[in-house]
Amino acid sequence: MSGDAAPVALPLSRLSTGASETTKLYRELRKPLLRYLVCLGLSGDEAQDVVQDVFLILHRHLASGGSQENIRGWVFRVAHNQARNRQNRYDRNFSAASEAEMDAVSHGVTPERAVLEKEKFQQLGKAIRLLTASERECLLLRASGLRYREIGEVLGIATSTVNDTLDRAIKKLAEKCNV
Amino acid sequence: MCDFSGKLIAWLDRELPAEEASEVERHLEVCSECRADVDAYKRVSGEFDAYCDAAILLNKPRGGLRRWAAVAAAAGAVAALVALFLAMPRTRVPSPAFHPPQVAVADSPAVVAAALPASVTSIRRVHRRQSVARVSVQNASSASAPAQANYMQPDEPMIQIAIPADEMFPPGAVPEGMHFFADVTIAADGSAERLRLRPRLAGFERRVTQP
Repeated sequence: MSGDAAPVALPLSRLSTGASETTKLYRELRKPLLRYLVCLGLSGDEAQDVVQDVFLILHRHLASGGSQENIRGWVFRVAHNQARNRQNRYDRNFSAASEAEMDAVSHGVTPERAVLEKEKFQQLGKAIRLLTASERECLLLRASGLRYREIGEVLGIATSTVNDTLDRAIKKLAEKCNV
Repeated sequence: MCDFSGKLIAWLDRELPAEEASEVERHLEVCSECRADVDAYKRVSGEFDAYCDAAILLNKPRGGLRRWAAVAAAAGAVAALVALFLAMPRTRVPSPAFHPPQVAVADSPAVVAAALPASVTSIRRVHRRQSVARVSVQNASSASAPAQANYMQPDEPMIQIAIPADEMFPPGAVPEGMHFFADVTIAADGSAERLRLRPRLAGFERRVTQP
């Protein structure tokens, strides 16, 4: 054989048409998903694991021609169920942040403001922990930008129930925090 | 309590049908109590949002074992690919038992070492633009050779394996722009002796070797 053969190039192509769509959704939804999972009580690493699992499942779903309707709600529902499967961790209260951690968050602001921020956060944290699990979940999904219908799909409850639950939860928080 | 009290949060979230939303807006113009409630709901929603952001700040993922397990799996996959490539030239490389021990002779797109001086015992090749794969050939006597000469042959063809990480992994498994370099050492009998994979980030591999 002569020595001037052309360089060998692997004929790489996209694994499927779902790959680019998954990547786009990943960029858009990764942060809200992480935040949702961490606020549910998972550690940062656990949340990261769940997010990776969710996007693997999403990739398979899209590659096999699965429905793309309301994909945001679908992604959150899978993440929610994955978090539920980690039941022992999931039972923890809403990210109960310690005083030391709150100090770390308010680092860099003036001492007076830091004290105020810390007090406000502690008060809010207490109020959040007094909510029912369903109220917390609805609030978290709302804060992630989901519509009531999508929240209902994630949690398996009616849209009207989401409406009532959110109404109750926000009123409780407003009352407890005296805002 | 005002009759509209139960609709204010849904109105804030734009979840009311257009007709009901208009009713709420007309009501808000005349009811200061509901306006104050709406402001309070807005504030508490903002604070809840900030609390969630703080929670994620406090629980930043550290990137654990799983990510590196994925990278290790990738390394395995790339190693298998490289081994597959090496299987082809291997059958064409004459066994050193039939040749003078001082000269390594290879005849394939991957390994070309003909007409070298008798003292040369190793060939090291680097691609002209990008060190995607570096192949070194050693014959049986290389270990005892007193001096080794390196020959740069930048214009020669070589195995080029480019595997973007995002083709092999789920999004987020490896940082963006990462790909892999393979250093392959081929033993005298043509088999892959050693394979080393080095992950690289785009922008850090631009050392150009001019011909």
